[in-house]
Amino acid sequence: MSARNATLVAIVTIAAWVPRALAAAPDAGALIAGLARPAPASVTFTEVRFSSLLREPLIVSGELGYLGAGGLERRVTAPYRETTVIRGDAVRIERDGEAPRSFALKRAPELKSFLSAFTALLAGDAAALARDFTVTASGEQDRWSLELTPNEEHARRRLRAIVINGSGAEPRCLATFDVREGGSVLLFGVGATEPLVAADVSLDGLLARCRAE
Amino acid sequence: MKRTPAALLLLAVWIAAIVAAAVFAQRHLAVSSDLRLFLPSATTPEQRLLLEGLGEGPAARILVVALEGATPEELADVSRALVAELRGDGAFLFIANGEVALDDFPDALLPYRFLLSTTLDSRRFDADFLTESLAARARDLASPAGLFLEPWLPRDPTLELANVLQRWQPTQEPRRELDVWFDRAGQRALLIAETRAAAFDPDGQRAALAKLDAALAAANAGGVRMTVSGAGAFSVLMEARTRAEAQRLGLVATLGMLVLLLVAYRGVGSVVLSALPLVSAGLAGLAAVAALFGSVHGVTLAFGFTLIGVAQDYPLHVLSHRRADRAPRDVARALWPTLATGVASTCIAYLAFLFSGVTGLQQLACFTIAGLAVAGLASRFVLPVLMDRAQRDFGDSAALALVWNTILRLPRPAWAAPALAIVCAAGIALAPRPLWENNLAGLTPVPADLLAVDQELRAELGTADLRYMLAVDAPDDEAALARVESLDPKLQQLVERGAIAGFDHAARYVPSAATQRARQSSLPDSASLLTALEAASAATPFRAGAFQPFVEDVERARMLEPLTLEQVRAAGLGERVDMLLRGQAGSRTALVTLSGVRDVEALSELAASSGATLLDLRQASESLVAQQRTRMLWSLAGAAVLLVAVVAFALRSRARVLRVLAPMAVTTLVVVAALQAAGISLTLFHLIALILVAGLGLDYALFFEHAADDAKEQRRTLHAVLVCSLSTLLVFALLATSSLPVLRAIGLPVAIGVCSNFFLALLLTRVRPQL
Repeated sequence: MSARNATLVAIVTIAAWVPRALAAAPDAGALIAGLARPAPASVTFTEVRFSSLLREPLIVSGELGYLGAGGLERRVTAPYRETTVIRGDAVRIERDGEAPRSFALKRAPELKSFLSAFTALLAGDAAALARDFTVTASGEQDRWSLELTPNEEHARRRLRAIVINGSGAEPRCLATFDVREGGSVLLFGVGATEPLVAADVSLDGLLARCRAE
Repeated sequence: MKRTPAALLLLAVWIAAIVAAAVFAQRHLAVSSDLRLFLPSATTPEQRLLLEGLGEGPAARILVVALEGATPEELADVSRALVAELRGDGAFLFIANGEVALDDFPDALLPYRFLLSTTLDSRRFDADFLTESLAARARDLASPAGLFLEPWLPRDPTLELANVLQRWQPTQEPRRELDVWFDRAGQRALLIAETRAAAFDPDGQRAALAKLDAALAAANAGGVRMTVSGAGAFSVLMEARTRAEAQRLGLVATLGMLVLLLVAYRGVGSVVLSALPLVSAGLAGLAAVAALFGSVHGVTLAFGFTLIGVAQDYPLHVLSHRRADRAPRDVARALWPTLATGVASTCIAYLAFLFSGVTGLQQLACFTIAGLAVAGLASRFVLPVLMDRAQRDFGDSAALALVWNTILRLPRPAWAAPALAIVCAAGIALAPRPLWENNLAGLTPVPADLLAVDQELRAELGTADLRYMLAVDAPDDEAALARVESLDPKLQQLVERGAIAGFDHAARYVPSAATQRARQSSLPDSASLLTALEAASAATPFRAGAFQPFVEDVERARMLEPLTLEQVRAAGLGERVDMLLRGQAGSRTALVTLSGVRDVEALSELAASSGATLLDLRQASESLVAQQRTRMLWSLAGAAVLLVAVVAFALRSRARVLRVLAPMAVTTLVVVAALQAAGISLTLFHLIALILVAGLGLDYALFFEHAADDAKEQRRTLHAVLVCSLSTLLVFALLATSSLPVLRAIGLPVAIGVCSNFFLALLLTRVRPQL
């Protein structure tokens, strides 16, 4: 783990804990149950992808649809059109002007972990979430944070943690930290509609915004 | 059967000898399925290639595998599990399901990817191309696929490795779902497995199929069904079918024989005794072939056991001639001149096969001569010692006397036999259909529905055509690779015109050194590459320094000597290339396999204009079959001359020789004419059956001729020949009812021939009594 990443995690964790050290942490089970959405559900998103290869992050936005039964559709509408459908073990990506590509979820363990977390949250299924992740809840009702760390050694080798921030029954952000110096932050709902300028976005700034600081 | 201590001791010794021969044969005889043992040496380049590559060729070894009956996800999982299980397995050279795993690429070859990929044939690593590539990679990175592409990007931002791996797939790209091949409908996952065993090696193929089944069983949780198709799978299937049917018919025939012999001789002992010479003959034949050749072809065995069927008659003659007033030893001694003439003339006739120059026929001769000699000697010298004096003399049978006299009273004008011969000969000459069938595959036809599935799967996967390929000769590997490479534009045109669906050759895996150098020379130096990368990064969100490993790899590739075949072999990828590039040092042949051949004319034009040879393997195999038959017919002609000489030497009278030889000669014509009338063209199997028919005819005629004018002796001979011909008729008539053409081809001629032989021998060898 690089120093920068250690810092990031520290910020996330400490930011979640320190200000409310005296307040009682919210009950993770109740919090997760409150996140349940009936399928099909969809939400607009903006994804900001960070990588050590990149000078500035990649920003795409569109709509994320929950198809039920582990199925997910990720429809990118800007700055180009791209549709990814995940059903079962299959990931199929179609991009304008290119031949569709498909691959197995097994090839991308990060994606698999992300998907299991995402669908468990949408189902409000705390038990399912606890099977794959160690869940730590912090904050309070209107500014909560859930940190998920994969239980499986195999998944931990690719994905460090998923952090979800939200308020009440509304998740605001979902940040994925991979083991390289990268990760991505998904902004939902209102947060997703505010335009972002890649050159101005930093991971720390974005995370701070997620925590509604 | 005698139960004296001496007889029992002899029986024990005999059985011990049989067991010893069986053990010897078992230990030293390898049954080979190499069809080449049975083919003459090649005279044309096509035939040479056919013989070298027959069933070993890249196309014939390919098994196509289809998985169905579950969701695409499950099918893809099973497909991956099969590849994971069988890759590196000894039974398979290669197994692929379309999955291109970047990690599978041998590390040693990694720097060569720029020399192997076709990118540099049309593009340069300049700012334009790199900007284009990086823009595409940025989108990849922002997509879910970015997660596993990211680690590769610093080293390979232009995805050259994927380009090379794609090119190394042995097929035109079928539909791809979940990273693995599917059919167009997306219902069946498809795989290609190339066996190490040749297609005509049913044992090796069976082992490979068993491995596939086991891998499926291990991987399959649900109801995934597997279809395996290809020349090898068919050879296993047809062998199993033929074997099963032959065994079933053989069992019925054996039971029928037992009943017949029990009725004929009224004693279990006689039945046991009658079997011993035949068993001895088979094992002696095997032991002789084991000692002289070491291995025996499966076809030789099948033919051999057919031909020594005549040995079953030898003990029957001795048993039928038993009488109360003479010791069996004396009976055998009296029969011996006749029996020996039959055995010797047949054996000597087979000598002609020894000089045929075809290993399979030599083995056949060796097997048959050893077998018949042992059966004859056993019937003469061993069997009589074990036999009791007869309880009843067939010479006293009133029924046999009646039959004999009835047949003898039949009218037989002198012109009848020549007339029959002429009618048959004319019928054969005038028949509209070709006398010979050259397509040996027609004898073991694969069921049409299986063939249809096979063709469909091959079309889906675009695997190589089994019939046509192009060959290019060159003095060395580099020249051969350069020559097949030079065919690429023309082949590509044919693909675009739809004349073929695709092609494959060695240079697709290892380009010629010249091509590699050309690609190498268009690699930029570090400074230019860095400048281009900077421009590309500036135009995309990537950091300028992110691709340092790429810059280093390009610099290393600029210094490389072109990749050689030896390096490819060392990296474990040589077998595919060696299959497409063969021959000895100084004379190499590069093959271009083709898929989806629709326009043969266009291919032959391409061959003519570029100095390549269009090989038509079916035509080559048919011409080989025809050549082999020519050799066999010459051997047979030689055999016939020898046979006449031996019979003439034994009988020493022109009239007697004519009487003995006429039935078998006319019968041969009758059988061929009957087959022609039934619409059957002759194959090698028919020819072998005809030889057996001739051998039987000779024996019947010799014994009838020998019976002279002693009424009792005539009845005994009639009994012997009746039992012999009925038992033979029973066995071969059963084979003639088989659903498999190869068994019918042996059964039908012999069944017809036995009837014809029996009556013609009786009618032609006996002068009509003066009433």
